[in-house]
Amino acid sequence: MHYELLQKPDFTLIKVTFDQGGEQMLAEPSAMVAKDSGVEMKTAIQGGILAAAKRKMLGGESVFQNTFTATAPGQRLYLAPGPEGDAEVIQCDGSTPIFLSSGAFLASAPSVQLDTKWGGAKGFFSGAGLFLLKAIGTGPLFFCCYGGIHSVDIGGAGYICDTSHIVGFTGGLTYNVNRIGGMKSLFFSGEGLVCHFNGHGRLWMSTRNPGGLASFLHPFRRVQSS
Amino acid sequence: MQIDVVYRPAHSLAKVTLPPGESIVAESGAMVGMSPNVQMQTQSQGGLMGGLKRMFGGESFFRNTFTAQGGQGEVLLAHALCGDMTVLEMTELGYFVQSASFIASTPNVNIETKLGGFRSFFAGEGVFVLKATAQGPGRMLVGAFGGIEELRCDGNLVIDTGHLVAWDASLTYSVGKSGSGFIASFLSGEGLVCHFSGQGRIWIQSRNPTAYGHAVGQLLPPRSG
Repeated sequence: MHYELLQKPDFTLIKVTFDQGGEQMLAEPSAMVAKDSGVEMKTAIQGGILAAAKRKMLGGESVFQNTFTATAPGQRLYLAPGPEGDAEVIQCDGSTPIFLSSGAFLASAPSVQLDTKWGGAKGFFSGAGLFLLKAIGTGPLFFCCYGGIHSVDIGGAGYICDTSHIVGFTGGLTYNVNRIGGMKSLFFSGEGLVCHFNGHGRLWMSTRNPGGLASFLHPFRRVQSS
Repeated sequence: MQIDVVYRPAHSLAKVTLPPGESIVAESGAMVGMSPNVQMQTQSQGGLMGGLKRMFGGESFFRNTFTAQGGQGEVLLAHALCGDMTVLEMTELGYFVQSASFIASTPNVNIETKLGGFRSFFAGEGVFVLKATAQGPGRMLVGAFGGIEELRCDGNLVIDTGHLVAWDASLTYSVGKSGSGFIASFLSGEGLVCHFSGQGRIWIQSRNPTAYGHAVGQLLPPRSG
């Protein structure tokens, strides 16, 4: 199969063209925009009910996923994320895992296995809600976010990212969730928790976060009359 | 200091490259990412009173100062809403900035809150204006909801307050109603407008955040209290 990322970066649309019948693509429910009628869709609980429940609870991903199977060469499948914004693809090499923050997974080759990696006590107890989905296998992995995607190749010096802006990162990186600044910053800076990355690898960040939009819209909601 | 605005216009991101020892002051919550040698310090500029006045002006009480230490540093800054950003070079007279549009500035830029007057306060349009001035060269980063368009005022110009981003301090302005009477001005849907006169540049945003908030907010489930 081969693929193209169209309409980048504001309203990215993924076009997958299958080279031969039998090729498959796994996608989040509602990610499908269009397909040739010959492409078969099957809805299933991926990896068994337990793995799916864990994925749902911790990684924010759906219990059900759709598998698209081509029946002839040249068939097309179009996929898109829910929010406005960018999508990216990485070719999984079979050895380096890719970590995605909850909600970032869009689609992958079925040979890419998904599992929820516990965000760790450091992510959970600090209230960061940093739950990560671990993807490993061979083939393309598509991910998305609200806003643009900015990538940074991290070398020895490391990098700091606001937790609400993390989209994903490659397995060569380790991270710590902490706060920046002193006590005063803790309460007043308006900067949330940050993730401090070390090691070698690539980090993807979103240039907007849906929480910012939600807090802007909140005051405009009607007030419940009780 | 170098400021590159990338991913324009919808999801723009400002990539600030700081030479060793240099700082940038940013609105709280604007930081997306940064290199680990950048130190962040939170301060209420202008003391407690300055902070309170700013809060009244619809901005956050505190601003954060990011300083590169022991080498070149990088800070990524973004606006909360979708839209473009632009860098304004400080001029002798400075600028007026609509408070929600301010994102960051060089540390030598002095930001003062101007209250838009009682009329604007009661109209709920949040026409709070900051005055940015600097001694010597400096830069300021402003963000918009939607695209940014630079307009030239050559005499007189009327702009809806919801679409204002910033303007040259050489212009005189007054906030007022758009029509001949309050009823006409209310019915026109234009609400409050800003009357400009003089010579200078005005930066506008192609969408009005309040109008967007009303359009979408009404569709959301009601909130309690």
